[in-house]
This record gives sequence, C-alpha cells and structure tokens, in this order.
Amino acid sequence: MASRNGKILAGIVVLCVLGAGAYIAYAALGPSSTTTDARPEAKAVLAGSDVMVRAVDPKNPQLNGRVYEVEDGEVHHDGDLACERVYYAAGHGICMAIAPSGVDYEAKIFGPKMETEHTIRLTGLPSRARVSRDGRYGAMTVFVAGDSYLGNSTAFSTRTYVVDMASGHTAGQLEQFKVTKDGQPFDAIDFNFWGITFDPADSDRFYATLGTGGHHYLVEGSISGQEMKVLRDGVECPSLSPDGKQVAYKSRIGDETRWRLRVLDLATLEDHAVAEERSIDDQVEWLDDDTLAYSDEKNVYTVPADGSGEPELLVADASSPVRLSAASARSLQ
Amino acid sequence: MYQVEASKALLKPKLWARRSARLNVPRNVVMLGMVSMLTDVSSEMVATILPLYLVFSLGASPLALGAIDGTYRGAAALVQVISGFAADRWRRPKQVAEAGYGISAVGKVALVAAGNTIGGIGAIVAFDRIGKGIRTAPRDALISLSSSKAGLATAFGVHRAMDSAGAMLGPLIAFGILLAAPARFDAVFVVSTFFAVLGLAVLVLAVQGRPKRAPRVDDGTPPPSLRAALGLARDRRVAVLLLAAAVLSLTSVSDAMLYVGLQRKIDFEPAVFPLLYVITAVAFMGLAIPVGQLADRVGRVPVLLCGYALLFVVYGALLMSSLGYGLLVLCLLGLGGYFAATEGVFAAIAGAILPEELQASGLGMLTTVTSIGNLVSSVAFGALWLALGLRGAVLVFAVALALAIAAAVPLLLRSQRAPVHG
Repeated sequence: MASRNGKILAGIVVLCVLGAGAYIAYAALGPSSTTTDARPEAKAVLAGSDVMVRAVDPKNPQLNGRVYEVEDGEVHHDGDLACERVYYAAGHGICMAIAPSGVDYEAKIFGPKMETEHTIRLTGLPSRARVSRDGRYGAMTVFVAGDSYLGNSTAFSTRTYVVDMASGHTAGQLEQFKVTKDGQPFDAIDFNFWGITFDPADSDRFYATLGTGGHHYLVEGSISGQEMKVLRDGVECPSLSPDGKQVAYKSRIGDETRWRLRVLDLATLEDHAVAEERSIDDQVEWLDDDTLAYSDEKNVYTVPADGSGEPELLVADASSPVRLSAASARSLQ
Repeated sequence: MYQVEASKALLKPKLWARRSARLNVPRNVVMLGMVSMLTDVSSEMVATILPLYLVFSLGASPLALGAIDGTYRGAAALVQVISGFAADRWRRPKQVAEAGYGISAVGKVALVAAGNTIGGIGAIVAFDRIGKGIRTAPRDALISLSSSKAGLATAFGVHRAMDSAGAMLGPLIAFGILLAAPARFDAVFVVSTFFAVLGLAVLVLAVQGRPKRAPRVDDGTPPPSLRAALGLARDRRVAVLLLAAAVLSLTSVSDAMLYVGLQRKIDFEPAVFPLLYVITAVAFMGLAIPVGQLADRVGRVPVLLCGYALLFVVYGALLMSSLGYGLLVLCLLGLGGYFAATEGVFAAIAGAILPEELQASGLGMLTTVTSIGNLVSSVAFGALWLALGLRGAVLVFAVALALAIAAAVPLLLRSQRAPVHG
C-alpha cells in the first residue's frame, strides 16, 4: 500500500517537474513578439500642442512601453526607451521602467535627445511620474508590496520621491516631510503619499495626495521646507492646469477602487465632474487650460475641463500622455 | 560531561547519531512540512508577481487587490474554528485539510484559465484565503497527533521552518522564471499550479490520516459533539491558555508595523525595506527547530515567555533616541527569534493539553483567538500612533506587553498543571 502510494507520488513528481520545465522552456524560447507592428495610432489631430505617449501592447514585450511622439496626427518613434510611465518637460524626462534584469524597477532620467543621463533604482512598481515645468524637479510614486513574507502578502503602500533632475539625486521623500492639518502636527502609521503635481510658476511648491484612515487628502507642500499641509479631503492624483488655477483629480466613488475625474477651481473652490463617465485610474495631464488628457491603460482620450462635451479618442494603444509645449517638442527633434 | 574519546573518528559518528536521534521527528510531520512548503512556494510565487501582473498586463491599481484581501481575512479567521470542529466531528482531519489545500490548488488552475480580469483575480485571492482558513486547524491537529507529547515543540518547529522556507523560495522561483521568460506571467501561474498540485499529492499520498495519537474510531465512542467542542473553552486548562493567548496577542504589534516604525526611526534607504522581511524570515527559519528542541527540553512555557520578552526588547529599541544599522539587524534577529519561540511553541503547548478527540477544534480556537488579537492590536497601534505619535504608541504597547507577560505567567503555569481526575 505504502509503496504503491510512493510510486504514484514519484510519478506525479516526475510529471510535474517535466510539465513545469516544458512550459518554462516553451515560454522562454517561444516567439515572444507578435508579428504585427501594432504601435500607437493617432486618432485625432491636436492643434498647437504635441503629446508624448508610451505604447500599450502587453503581449508584445518588444514594443510595450516604447516612447512615441504624436505631432499633427503623425506618430514618430522616439529613441529606444521602454517605460511603464513617462514624463517630460523643458529638456528633462523621467522614464520609470522594468530594469534589464526583468524583475526589478528603475527610473531613467533622460535629456532632450532621449539619452539616459541618470539611472535610479526603484523600490516598487512604477505608479506616477511628473516633471516640474522648468525641468528642475521630477516626482515619482512607486507601489511597495507591504510584507510579502510572513503573511499579509497583498497589502500595499506607496513611496513618493522628489528628484533633482540635473544631478539625479533625491531631493526629498514625502514620507519624511512634516505634515500639518488645521495647524496641528499630523502623523499616522498608514500615511501614504502619491501623485505629485508641481506649481507651474514655482517648482518648489507642489500638490499631492495623502492617503490615511480611508481619507484621501489634497496636500500642498514645499520641497525646500520639507513640509506639507492638508487642504481638503477626497482628492487623489491632483494635476494643476498650466495657468495654475485649477486642479484635475480622481474622486473615489464610495469606498471602492473606482474613480470619476473632476476639476476643482482653486480660487472659488467650485468643483465639477467632467464628461468622462467611466472609472479612470490615471493622473490627468492638461493639454491646455481647457483640455484634459488621460488614459484607461489602453488608449489616450481627451475631454473638455469645464464638464461639457464628450470624451474623444486621441491616441489608440497608448498611455501616459505628456503635453509637449512647442518649445519642448522642438528640442526633442 | 562526555568521556574523552581516544579517537576523533570514533567520536564523530556518535555525536552525529546523538544529534539525529535528538531531532526525532515523525515522518508524518516532515511530510506535512513538505506539503506546507510546496503550497507556500505556490502561493508566494503568485503573491510576488500579482501586483506586477495587475499593473502591467491588466492596467489595474494594486490597491484594488489590497481592499479585496482585507475583506476576506476576517472571514478566514472564522472558517478556522468551523473547519477545526468539522475535522474532529467527522474524525477526518486529513480529509478536511485536503479540502483546504484542494481549494487553493483549484484557485491556481483558475488563475491560469481565467486570470485576465480583475474580478476573477479577486475571487481567486478570496478562494486562496478561505482554503488557508480551512486547512490550518486540521493540519496542526495532524502534526500534533503524529508527535509524541514530549516532542511537540520540535515537531511544530520543523513544520514552521519548512513552511517559511517555502515562503522564501516562492519569490525566488517566480523571479527566476520571469528572468528566463520576460513578461510571461502565464509561465509563473502554470508552474505555481504544479507546485500546488504536488503539495496536494504529498498530502493525499504520503501523509498518514490516522497517526499514532489519533483517537480510535472503532471503539464505539460517539464523535465529539458541538457542545463538547464549545465545552473546551470551559475546561480550566484550555481556558487559561486561550486567555493567555488573547492578552499576549492583543499586545503584540505585527511585524509589518514594526518595520515601518524602524524605518521612521533610522530613515534608511527604502531599497533596504524588503531586506527586513528576508532577515527576519531567515532568522525564523533557522531558529524554529533549535528553539523547538529547547522548548521540549527545558519547558515550553519559559521559552514562549522568552519569545515575548524578545518582542519587548524590540519595542525598547524603538524607544531609543537613535538606532544604528547594527542594532537594526539585532532587532530583526530578535523578531525572528520571537516568531520561532512563539508561533510553533504556542501550538505545542495547546497540543499537549488538548484531548486527542478535540485537537483540531482546540487548535482552531487558538489560532482564531491569536489572529483576532493581532488584528485588534494592529488597529489599536495605528490609532495610538495617530493620537500619540510613534513613541507614545510604542510606550503604551511596551507597558501593556509587560503586563500581559506578567499576567500570562500564572495563566500558563496553571495550564501546565495535571488535570483534576475523578
């Protein structure tokens, strides 16, 4: 009896080892890219401003994440960077990517010719990237797996860094900034920060999200002061308009992980939803003071900021839209 | 102590023989350890890459998964008590454990087949949690019933060491596969399924369902009733043990929170963060067996209390004004020692005093009390941190833990008294 079980078990072990080995070999050696050269496809022509996007094609590792520039409805391939998140302003770009090892993450700070100037090791999954309008600071948010050992394997926390773009050095980590709420010091174990947006007029000032105890606060901070203060609740992934007067953000629906895009006027505190009715998990980009661009991780869409109109498909098979001002676009050539 | 031997050649094999004789672990326990190891390799492979997969292939936020996981964790705690009683009632701990491991294995197959929607992944994570809840109590009962009462802590130590070895190997194997086949998450899911199937096969084919201490089925005694299982809590020795488990777990902060505290304290590079788990897990893995042996030799209660004393020392380190890297590593080794001296040893203490026919019910109650206690303490610690700051929260918990240890001493000693007969 026992020896019969032993034989069956030995048989199962052999089958499992062979099966697993064969599948890994098939996955490692098989064709890893599709033959179709699917690449982002411009669906609408933007007057005045160009955008940078990353290609979305998860089944095709050779193409997925490659950076393209869309100019007057034409799609140009831009260098060899492959990014999970990309941002660019005033000659300085951030590309958050999977490292060459395939199991690690890194951020490449790149210049106007898409050449890598600095490489920064990341400690988690790329989530958000931004560069201040003057190109001085970059901001990156990563997801960190809480504790994959000894239990609680799917809890997440975020870390948000500010990088000095010229040197590639860290200029601050939001988790270490002092926070105040209603003038009082504010701290809790579950503090998570994400989604920095820089003041277009003063790159030292920024807005971001502070998540704690089920709240998602809009915070305003200073990099030189290493401090932040809580402004209001219910604002995630803020994005300042080019004139600095409005904030586009994600508004959580109940306690779910579903969001509506809304726009907040900083002067009047008037707040309204935009015409996109689907749940969007992205940090919105402003193409100009009236138009938002965002992705659903498959395509890039635009929608008027004032709540009117309809979402319009801008670039198919793309995400991470970046507005390129005329000056930036020229410097990229 | 030893007579000096003339020849070293003579001495060596003897010493080796002594050592292996001392680590006298029943085959069934090693096999159950193997089952847990293979299953943990399978689960941790998926857990490691799931965020990567969610974000890059499905374009979802990993936060979505965290929310799902939290919801089902509470449910899993309750499932433990029910499955423990079911195992005793039907007198089939092995079959109930098989159901638990089977559910997780089916979940892995489902991941291969239907893992391309967020809802599907959520359901599979829930499945895995429930499977874990079902299998824990009957599996611990099998470990306990397979061992002699004198070797219980060693047996649980061997099991916990193999279990955490699986949790360490899983991520390495997943990364290895992705290194060989970039972005082929399906390969990770497929290999994970094979590991889950292997674990289940070892359980079904190599684990004895009726180990030596298992109650006889054919002697005509009726299976234990629900009343008898609930009556466990009224048994003086079990009641004081559960009470001790409650006060100790209520004052124990989860390791995840301690890591955050340590990071705030030292401001070390976030890149170091994953290393904290690794160092603690390696220490836990390395110490689980020797500490279990020590507990069997010098007494389980003192070793258990030493474990909580180690946690108290780690709290103390968090109260120091400054902390260097050397002390950080010592803290992590201390945490590993704390896990080694408490995780399996508590189960061993319970296994020794629980009646054979109610082992799974009693062990299920113990894990439920402990996990609810840990959940409450985590929430309380978070709230105290918000109200008093890190230092204040740690101070409150240090005082509470000291009081809990003081309260646990008489409770645990009473649990060790011989039962009143007649």
